[in-house]
Amino acid sequence: MTVMITGGSKCGKSSFAERIFDNIKSSKIYLATMKPYGEEAEKAIERHRILRAGKGFETIEKYTDISELTFDNMDSVLLECIGNLLANEMFRNEEIELCADKIADEIKQISTKVNNLVIVTNQVGSDGMDYQEGTELYISEMGKLNQKIASIADTVIECVYGIPVILKGEKPC
Amino acid sequence: MIMITGGAYQGKKAYAAERFGLSPEEMIDGTYCGYTELINAKCVYNYHEFIKKLLKNGEDAVQYTTELCDNNSGLIVIMDEIGSGIIPLDREERSWREVTGRCGCIIAERSDEVIRMICGIPEMIKGGKK
Repeated sequence: MTVMITGGSKCGKSSFAERIFDNIKSSKIYLATMKPYGEEAEKAIERHRILRAGKGFETIEKYTDISELTFDNMDSVLLECIGNLLANEMFRNEEIELCADKIADEIKQISTKVNNLVIVTNQVGSDGMDYQEGTELYISEMGKLNQKIASIADTVIECVYGIPVILKGEKPC
Repeated sequence: MIMITGGAYQGKKAYAAERFGLSPEEMIDGTYCGYTELINAKCVYNYHEFIKKLLKNGEDAVQYTTELCDNNSGLIVIMDEIGSGIIPLDREERSWREVTGRCGCIIAERSDEVIRMICGIPEMIKGGKK
């Protein structure tokens, strides 16, 4: 099963994603993509650690090139989140790289290898603002990548203040 | 009338082209098109940018939109949802955001079907098949 969860900032995506794992007995892997740089990032990471505590996740941190990881076919993976992963990949060198296709391919690969893959992403680009070029490219790559992930996912959910709105497939829990 | 909305880069144009069998020539970019082109158009995208242009030229975008709805009731209108950020400090940006919201409500009201695209997935938020 491949599930994608989207929504705005702080809308309960992670808690809902973790709820899906409550019924999963096989090994649970939390694939964290956020770089622990700066006080705010560290705080966010700590908050998520506390949320996951006691739920039996093994945490793997991987900020780019997630296809380099190896998984067992019984693993259930929670990938969080696409927003960070895309930023890490796009802005890792001086020259901006458009990597929506690359990341979509990597996610597709992983989804065929593991038992369950739950992907947390987020919605950007609904504010009508004009940004500088790098940010504008990021918003367009996020849109493209989300569309690609949604097309391979069995279930797509938008979280609204913790309420799951099913956009595709069946409610997973 | 049919309205397709959603955030930027959510697959609105691709959905319209596929569902209504539109060729690229049948889809007019609101950023660049003139007023009269829209009266006979099948589909306009970036209508929110068209509104911006109307405002820059000192036109009444609400009145224009109402007239467009009257005169081209078969039009497929694609426009971004732009109202989910912070209220812009800039007066013109603020006014654009407000007027776009009002025009969007008029188009939605006149449309038989309103579709909101998210991650390439159509959500039927008014009329249409579930």
